[in-house]
Amino acid sequence: MKKLQDAKIVEKHWIWAIAPVVIFLVAVIVFASFAGINKDITKGMNIGIDFAGGSILTVELGSDVLNNSEEYDKHYKAIEDILTSSEIAKQVVEYAKENFNIEISESAAIASISYVQTSGNGSEMALVIKYDNISSTFDTKTNDLTTERNKLLESQIKEYYNTQYPDENISISTSYIGATASASLIKTALIAVFVSLILILIYIMIRFEIWSGIAAIIGLIHDVAMMVCLVAIFRIQINSAFIAALITIVSYSINNTIVVFDRVRENRKKFGGKVKGSIIDNNKMVNESIIQTLSRSINSTITTMVAITLFAIIGTASVREFALPVIFGLLAGFYSSLVVAPSLYCLMKNSADKRKLAKRDGVIKGKPKYAGAKNN
Amino acid sequence: MKKWQSIVILTVLAILIVFGTVFGFVSLDKGELGTKNYKAYITQISLGLDLSGGVYAVYEVDFDKLTDEQKDNIEALIEGTRASLEALLFSKGFSEAQVTVANQKIRVEIPDEDDPERIFSLIGRPSSLEFKEYVDGADGDLSLNDPNGKVKLDEKLTGNDIASAGVSYDSSTGHYTVALNFTEEGTKKFSTATSALTGSQLSIWINDEFVNAPKVDEAITTGSASISGKYTYEQAYELAVRIQSGSFPLVLKMSESNTLTATLGSSAIKAGLISGVVGLVLIFIYIIVMYRYMGIAASLSLWYYSLTYLYFLAIFPWVQLTLSGIAGVLLSIGMAVDANVIIFERIKEEYSNGKTIRTSVGTGFKRSLGAIIDGNVTTIIGAVVLIIFGASTIKSFGITLLIGIILSLIASLLLTRLILKCIMVFNNDESKAGLFGLKRVDVEKGVVENEEGESQAQVEEEQAQNVSLLKNKKSKKGGARQ
Repeated sequence: MKKLQDAKIVEKHWIWAIAPVVIFLVAVIVFASFAGINKDITKGMNIGIDFAGGSILTVELGSDVLNNSEEYDKHYKAIEDILTSSEIAKQVVEYAKENFNIEISESAAIASISYVQTSGNGSEMALVIKYDNISSTFDTKTNDLTTERNKLLESQIKEYYNTQYPDENISISTSYIGATASASLIKTALIAVFVSLILILIYIMIRFEIWSGIAAIIGLIHDVAMMVCLVAIFRIQINSAFIAALITIVSYSINNTIVVFDRVRENRKKFGGKVKGSIIDNNKMVNESIIQTLSRSINSTITTMVAITLFAIIGTASVREFALPVIFGLLAGFYSSLVVAPSLYCLMKNSADKRKLAKRDGVIKGKPKYAGAKNN
Repeated sequence: MKKWQSIVILTVLAILIVFGTVFGFVSLDKGELGTKNYKAYITQISLGLDLSGGVYAVYEVDFDKLTDEQKDNIEALIEGTRASLEALLFSKGFSEAQVTVANQKIRVEIPDEDDPERIFSLIGRPSSLEFKEYVDGADGDLSLNDPNGKVKLDEKLTGNDIASAGVSYDSSTGHYTVALNFTEEGTKKFSTATSALTGSQLSIWINDEFVNAPKVDEAITTGSASISGKYTYEQAYELAVRIQSGSFPLVLKMSESNTLTATLGSSAIKAGLISGVVGLVLIFIYIIVMYRYMGIAASLSLWYYSLTYLYFLAIFPWVQLTLSGIAGVLLSIGMAVDANVIIFERIKEEYSNGKTIRTSVGTGFKRSLGAIIDGNVTTIIGAVVLIIFGASTIKSFGITLLIGIILSLIASLLLTRLILKCIMVFNNDESKAGLFGLKRVDVEKGVVENEEGESQAQVEEEQAQNVSLLKNKKSKKGGARQ
């Protein structure tokens, strides 16, 4: 207990930097290796169909088949096998080489299914499968590789149904769709995040001090960066839900940091920091503030995590894909509000105090003078 | 507060909580209590495309009706049409509608609808709109840039010049009118046109079909005008929708429309609901263990918070719950708990510094106010920015977030405090500190004094069984304070 009270936290800022730096480096390595294997920079992260655009395959099987889960699984399995077959990928690779002299890897040519739904009613009910396009690095308007692949896939699936179900007349079609989450979504999201960061900074600077504001904003940027890095490491899909997760974290994470800085503001008075021109032991004061708010930080993180973790556990794969980045962000927020932001605050505040002292005394002395520190 | 007041307040709150829960989660549609049409309000929350599925329609550009100039700019015009369709749908409350462009076709997806015809009633049958000079008896009226007409504009006056169209009620005639608002450019054109046509008629053409020829009473320079016929609400609405949809830069024709199932399926909603309820129960257990009576007060107010939150999500038309919305709601619950935790930790701290329970609670609320307000204001700033800057999904998320924060402030700062006050009336004795999860800590030695290493559970058991032991403890505590 006694040890915790006197813990040196902000002094160890180099130690606190280790975890974020390691995560960042791992993310860069993962990004570079995936980009390298596929010879395509956009494959460095797992970018979802929302942003990259994709193709839709529609197979009109009718409600009798699609509402019967056994039948549904059988058909879906067969279609999935064709969609992800390396045979077709090979043909696409060859087509690219012969016609446009482009080398693409087989893995870049295989379709990856984004989601499956049904559409329509009765005998017109169709299985709708959305899958990704071949990366735009290779696929341009002049060499329509995706269109070629769609043609191959369509004919293969038609052939399958002609041989397996010759009596039934099943309509099959593929079409190329643009990115549903347009670049404008990312743009507005980025503008929104940027504007809110500026406004939050101004608010904190008014209510607290300039250094708290800057430290809190860097803490927020840390949280977002860690989310992006962890998502890159775990190859979680970047789609519009991920953008929402990012915004969620920006809105919530600042709250934790504020609670710590609120205590710092209060303790500054106790330490005599309100006496004009006085300079106090910032490190000691901030450490105490962190310890005093520690049980609240832990309790709040636990209670916030409970529901979202349950959501990730109970939910389906796509729910998990959204909930995981949020969990990453909450953990990063816990870390940044506890150590990153306070350490940065102390670094900046100490050097500001030093300058103030130097200005007052005319010379820089080794250590700042502590005036009126009650607990000293 | 007197004991009877406290009993009255707690009883009223208890009744409200039971009613809120019943109305929130139980649908009375099988003739229970003599009603057949009450649906639990939780089922009234509208869901986004990813959770509920919906309808879609694909529009093609009508290339036959394009001018050469339009053909050159086709990409920009399609994007413009896409953006106006999206804005139109959002203004009608379909914040989750997706409007996307593929192969020069525009695909509109509207969530939470199962009738494809709904798309028409929402965005109309996208068409072109043009204002012309009415010529009595002629086959076609004159375009406003026609050299033979009275009006000599450089360009035609078309749907592009209209910012919005809506329905308004004219109380003097008792009929509905269609109110038009022009864009800046349109205002100028319309002003020029109406001053030249004062006294004669201006005609409105949609998809090159004559619709209506209102008489121009005076030059209109304000940029707003209304078309008054003897319309019923439905007729005026229909016309407004047609004009609004005619304000798209391109003439569109529909190529297909159908229903869609959810991309995530109902399992996501179920998972959200289960994790919300189970998560809340776990949080209740946790905070009651941590903070005893204070935890009970917080649990009650959190339950209220959850019920009102769901209620507001159900009644606000701009809210469409998506996957991210569910996560937002779950996190908001966490935030609401957070405010309570900040307060209780503060109360604990105040108490350990030697204050009485009552004073500790008072100062605890007062001193934690700063942190809670500042923390929530920054989040509110974030939410408001999302509402102002964000499009569709992001905007809807911002609204969900904002409702959550405001309600959580009310719950933690007012309701928890009220319930806590009521509970304190019956437990105002200093010996009851343990029941509030409070203990005094000797700052110098760092030793827990009033519990002497007993676990919380043990303390509770003793308190329940042995009153004399409690009295004993009280005297010890009294000594410690001196």
